[in-house]
Amino acid sequence: MPDETPLLAGTLDLLILKTLTMGVLHGYGIAQNIRRLSKDALRVEEGSLYPALQRMAVKGWVASEQKKTPTGREARYYRITASGRKQLGEEEASFQRSVAATTRVLKAVES
Amino acid sequence: MTLREMFGRMAAWFRRDALDREMAAELEAHVDMLARDLEREGMSPADARVAARRQMGNVTSQREQSRDAWGFPRLDAVGQDLRYAIRGLRRSPAFTAAVIATLALGIGANVAMFAVLDRLMFRPLPYVKAPDHTHLVYLQTTFRGTTSTNTVFPYLRYLTLSEAKGVGEFAAQSEWRFAVGSGDASRVRKVAGVSASYWPLFDAPPSLGRYFVASEDDMAAQPVAVISDALWTNDYARGDVVGKSLKVGVVNYTIVGVSPPGFVGATAGLSPDVFVPISTIPLNQSPFSQQSFRADYNWDWVQVLVRRRPDVSIDAASRSLSEAYIRSRALARAINPRVMADSLVHPRAIAGPVKQSAGPDAGLEARVLLWVTGVAAMVLLIACANVASLMLARVIRRRREITVRLALGVSRGRLAGQFITEGLLLAVLGGIAGVILAQWAGVAIRGLLLPEGSPFKLAEDWRTLGVALACATGAALITAIGPAIVATRSDLAATLKAGAREGTHQRSNARLLLLVGQGAMSALLLVGAALFVRSLGNAQNVSLGYDARPVVEAVTDYRGFPMDSATSVAMRRRMLAAAQAIPGVRYAAAFNSRLFGTNTAELAVDGIDSVSALGRFNFQVSTPDYFKVMDIKLVRGRSYTDADGVGAPRVVVVSEAMGKALWPGRDPIGQCIRVGIGYRSDPRQQPCTTVIGIANNTAQQNITDDPRYMYYLPESQFMPGGLRALLLRMDGEGRNEMERVRRALNAAMPGDGFVVVRPLQEVVDDKSRSWRLGATLFVAFGALALLVTVVGLYGMINYNVAQRSHEMGVRVALGARPAELVRLVVGQGMLLMLASVAVGLFGAWVAGRWVQPLLFQQSARDPIIYAAIGVMMVVVAAVASTAPAMRAARADPNSALRSD
Repeated sequence: MPDETPLLAGTLDLLILKTLTMGVLHGYGIAQNIRRLSKDALRVEEGSLYPALQRMAVKGWVASEQKKTPTGREARYYRITASGRKQLGEEEASFQRSVAATTRVLKAVES
Repeated sequence: MTLREMFGRMAAWFRRDALDREMAAELEAHVDMLARDLEREGMSPADARVAARRQMGNVTSQREQSRDAWGFPRLDAVGQDLRYAIRGLRRSPAFTAAVIATLALGIGANVAMFAVLDRLMFRPLPYVKAPDHTHLVYLQTTFRGTTSTNTVFPYLRYLTLSEAKGVGEFAAQSEWRFAVGSGDASRVRKVAGVSASYWPLFDAPPSLGRYFVASEDDMAAQPVAVISDALWTNDYARGDVVGKSLKVGVVNYTIVGVSPPGFVGATAGLSPDVFVPISTIPLNQSPFSQQSFRADYNWDWVQVLVRRRPDVSIDAASRSLSEAYIRSRALARAINPRVMADSLVHPRAIAGPVKQSAGPDAGLEARVLLWVTGVAAMVLLIACANVASLMLARVIRRRREITVRLALGVSRGRLAGQFITEGLLLAVLGGIAGVILAQWAGVAIRGLLLPEGSPFKLAEDWRTLGVALACATGAALITAIGPAIVATRSDLAATLKAGAREGTHQRSNARLLLLVGQGAMSALLLVGAALFVRSLGNAQNVSLGYDARPVVEAVTDYRGFPMDSATSVAMRRRMLAAAQAIPGVRYAAAFNSRLFGTNTAELAVDGIDSVSALGRFNFQVSTPDYFKVMDIKLVRGRSYTDADGVGAPRVVVVSEAMGKALWPGRDPIGQCIRVGIGYRSDPRQQPCTTVIGIANNTAQQNITDDPRYMYYLPESQFMPGGLRALLLRMDGEGRNEMERVRRALNAAMPGDGFVVVRPLQEVVDDKSRSWRLGATLFVAFGALALLVTVVGLYGMINYNVAQRSHEMGVRVALGARPAELVRLVVGQGMLLMLASVAVGLFGAWVAGRWVQPLLFQQSARDPIIYAAIGVMMVVVAAVASTAPAMRAARADPNSALRSD
């Protein structure tokens, strides 16, 4: 396995929501997608993925339905809702701000 | 939490079982997919599956974490704790019952006391517009260090007080009992005379009609009356009563309105049945009163209420009232120069509470009641200590279970939460039982304290239920926090390592301390109980100088039956004869001054400058048989007879104390006093009244009064035909003969007149009420406290013996004799109690200073009482530890040794 970086605190929701903007996915698909998109750098722990999905379902950011996978297995597919998109926007912006600020600090001290 | 999330959680909570199943399936699907991908990467199917599972981690924990998103985890935890607590309590019914019963007694005592105290002192009267700004006016004077407080004034004083500048609006009220109605329907009822300015003090629109106005508050106006909702309902079936006529006393009133339900005005206790303009009250009095009430200060009958303006402080109001009072005294002095100088009596006014029990002269009873309330609080503390101790014992027994749960990862906070939930559950159950107990016991206390017929339904009384809830919550916290701390502090490894040996003796200092505290408080309460019992006994043993038990008092009301002085004399003769003719009546006499309602007149004695400077001299006017009726013994000389009538030389019988005070060292018989009975009569101008006899000292002003200066005058010489009350000495106890006497006398009354009878002993008993109250409640609570403590002591020793069964067995094996083991255990119990008693008696000694004024002829630090209580408690402790001690003595060495 290549080097894996732990998720930054508080970014799990952001990653899940962003992944879901690509389409309807089941839990395993979400995990695979995050891994693939991060070029194997980020790995979502299964142990925190499903509780996070439940939390977001209750908050109304994602909706889910039962569907057949291409291999014919029953699985739950998640899709992002309108309020999920709004949340995603907010989280994305706040993440960018946070990264920018953190980077500024790091650079300032380096030089 | 947003609203949307809350709905989401709620929706999820309802579907949580389905969600849980879906979750399980979803995780399973994830594993499947992962395994398939791993297979594709070249693993064998079996290995792939194992690897997938491993990567998946703890599925159960994930399901649990997800569950936190559904519903409300904190609330769920409370529900779980509650279910867990209920299960636990149901498993040990004896423990549960003991705790609930103990808490019920403690909470019940407090709830009952609060309910009574609240009604007596704190609860605002219904309908009062500004309860915090409405006051009763109290007037005080201090003469020679003795302060007297008065709330009832002459009408003229009310007028002057209400001119006090910048205080607020004034109103007057006066409570009476008059015959209301006519013919057979007439009953003695509570009647309130109130000023027209009274009604605006309340936010109480009339149920029907209107209230009266200022122009109707006038003796000359057409008399109008407002009746109570109760009278309207019971006597008029809520019909149209406005304009109907109602006879009150001797006056015909026209009903103009009905007050709303439960309206009591500012009076104590039951609602008055009829409200009339206050200046029409004198119409039911003598013609003399009708003239003088607007001209003189000789009749105290009006209470003054004031609604303070919002910008005026209580102190400022009292100052302004004091100035008005001093002006009023000056006005009175202009009419009667004998009104004492202000510099001698320091007159002052207080804007005080409308409820007199909370006022500046609340009396012994209210003070005793406050103490008893403190006692009730102590009973609750004792109960809590006991329950805390029981719960501690339980926690110690469950220590292994608790440790195992801690080891399995239950958080300590959660564990403490469970104990507190358990405590709350127990306390709430105890509180409910307590309220039921209080309702039941409170009815008895109410009989001692509250005006008759006061409503006392605790289930509908939110203030009292609130106090019950507060008591229960407090009890829960007190009892649960200790065990919670002890349980969660327990050292995991040590307890688990200790292994199978449950019999290890674990000392609990907390329990010891609780027990000593309980014992100390019980000792304190028992000392209090003994002090009050002795006071009551002393009060009852005071030689009154008469015997009231077989005596019936009958007060006649002629209700305006027209009589001139000749028919009046004849009528009273007829009543006396009718009384004497009743079978079972031994003697009968007419008399003037009712017991403990004594009168004074101005006295002059040759050779003494000022008789009043020697003290208060009370007079009684009666027919000759008075001494026989009351069984007052004559020390020397004779009592007056029918021969001492009009025209004969005036005669008087004086009490022994009075004789000694007026003529020290000389024989009072044959001496001369001059009596100024009657309105503003100057005694010096009265003829000589010769002392013909000396009577035993009698308690007529007060039970405890000293000295007892009394003198007795014959009716025919001093108040011919003027006596309205009769005393009858019966063959049996007075209280059994009431109805027969009433009927016989009523039959002899003319017109609408009637008679009110009462056993005289009731009047005497009333005077020792405060000690009776103290004695009853202290004994009840003291006994309760002792019972709870003894149960606690028994439980603790029993528990210790059980814990030490192994040690006892070893002792027996080593040759200890059973008697030695009994001595060991009993000695331990007695030692514990001895320590508690020492603390408790010290507390009693300290509190003695404040209790002393409530006692009667009894030192608050009586060493005999202290010793008796101490010995009793230690003996009780010995008895309580006997049963566990016997069990210890039977310890079987074999089983003890084998268990190792």
